[in-house]
Amino acid sequence: MSDAKPVRTDTLTWKLLPALPFVALIAGWSIYWLIARPPVGTLPPAWAVTEALWQLAADGELLQNTLASLGRLLLGTTVGVVTGVVGGFLVGLNRRAADFLNPLVVFFNAISGIVWLPLMIGWLGIGTALVVFLIWNTVFFLVFQNTVLGVRLVPPVLEQSVETLGGSRLHIILNVTLPGALPYILSGIRSGLGFGWRALIAAELVGATVGLGQMIFRAAEFHRADIIIAGCLVIGLLGVLMDRYLLAPIEKHTIERWGLVTPSRGI
Amino acid sequence: MDATSPDKIIVEGFQHFFETADGPVQATGLIDLKIPAAEFVTLVGPSGCGKTTLLKAIAGFITPTRGRIVCDGKTVTGPGRDRGVVFQELAILPWRTVRRNIGHGLEIAGVPKAERERTVARLVALTGLKGFEDRYPHELSGGMRQRVAVARTWAADPDIILMDEPFAAVDAMTRLTLQEELASLTFSTRKTVFFITHSVDEAVFLADRVLVMSKRPGRIKASIEVPRRKAGGRDWESFTTDPEMQAICEQVLRLVRDERMDGAARPGETPDPLKEAS
Repeated sequence: MSDAKPVRTDTLTWKLLPALPFVALIAGWSIYWLIARPPVGTLPPAWAVTEALWQLAADGELLQNTLASLGRLLLGTTVGVVTGVVGGFLVGLNRRAADFLNPLVVFFNAISGIVWLPLMIGWLGIGTALVVFLIWNTVFFLVFQNTVLGVRLVPPVLEQSVETLGGSRLHIILNVTLPGALPYILSGIRSGLGFGWRALIAAELVGATVGLGQMIFRAAEFHRADIIIAGCLVIGLLGVLMDRYLLAPIEKHTIERWGLVTPSRGI
Repeated sequence: MDATSPDKIIVEGFQHFFETADGPVQATGLIDLKIPAAEFVTLVGPSGCGKTTLLKAIAGFITPTRGRIVCDGKTVTGPGRDRGVVFQELAILPWRTVRRNIGHGLEIAGVPKAERERTVARLVALTGLKGFEDRYPHELSGGMRQRVAVARTWAADPDIILMDEPFAAVDAMTRLTLQEELASLTFSTRKTVFFITHSVDEAVFLADRVLVMSKRPGRIKASIEVPRRKAGGRDWESFTTDPEMQAICEQVLRLVRDERMDGAARPGETPDPLKEAS
């Protein structure tokens, strides 16, 4: 019953199981392609995409584009997270700041996204600044709103208890409010990173000369669907990897370790 | 300056009202109270009589509508490390280990690490938390978490300790142990303790003096001395078989039950708070 063997098989099964939908997707795609034989400019077979991916990797183009995209994503996300957390703390901790800033935030949140593009091209030109702005514009609001909620949900009794130990306001913010709000902040960063990727690719379509978005955009002009799909694969894979090896470990060592959330895995 | 006064806590003409959407609601009646240094005072009274309001005012979390509170000759204007509080809710920090929770007050005070560790080790031993120093609160039982909360307050070494039903959330067996431990801990450290409870037995077991509060808006209607604890504190076995203690319990119980039973107006009783407030 409680043999080690079935348990191990079970763990292994659950480790591999998440790959199943991907395998099914590739299998379905291949079978469909073999039966229907669509033109490769519309839908190439899986092996053609693998070949394109190999080709892109071999001549260094993939690495260059990936690094360019990751650099922008990192920059835009970092600025978005820092401003979002600081702004969220201001508004979450201070009623006056909330009254003052809330209309502004709601107003600009409504016009976030691609709407800014035509204006920003004129203001910032085509380049890193434009792309970083568009990523920031996505990440900020998600992190901000989650941080405000997190700060407000920290039980006041925790802050009061540290006050009676002689803790200053700053000490309490850093040692009580910040860790207490962390589950929400991390949740905001997780959605921010996901939507940041989307903003990045969209921004790169027009606002960059290198990058995965630009690679896909150029491939579209030459009807190279294999490169487009290869680009999508890389983007999706990077998303999964970042979640698994960047966010999940942070969660494991903080909010899961502290018992604020129950443990879960990446994918 | 009345620093020479033997009274550690003085509550003078205290009365508190809460602001609500329907206007002010009276939380407590007029309260005057003096607690000498090293006395363990327990306060019992029906739900909603204003026990916690009084404690929060002494802690400095609320400013009295009327009157003032003086601790160590200084009027209370806000919370401070001279008045430690053990809350009914588990107010220890989930992101700090047992060791770092207990040492938190010393860390804030800038006590060097080696000295901090010594104090923490002493309190860990006193509260029976040995072996759990590096655990996080969510890995502990409710009783152990309460011990951490008590140890944290003691480690910061305040003269005054305020406790708001600290053992209400733990199981009955654990509660007995915690009460005995608290009795011996306060006996050996000579703290001035103000302790709120619903339980008459707990109130009498722990106290040098039991205060009974009337129903809302509460006043202090009785103050009953409990003969001095013997060296080393008390234990429940001798407490339950001591006729003198049991007589005090009965007396307190009668006073408390009086407050709960008579919903109808009685001569001399305070009228309905809501009517009075509007």
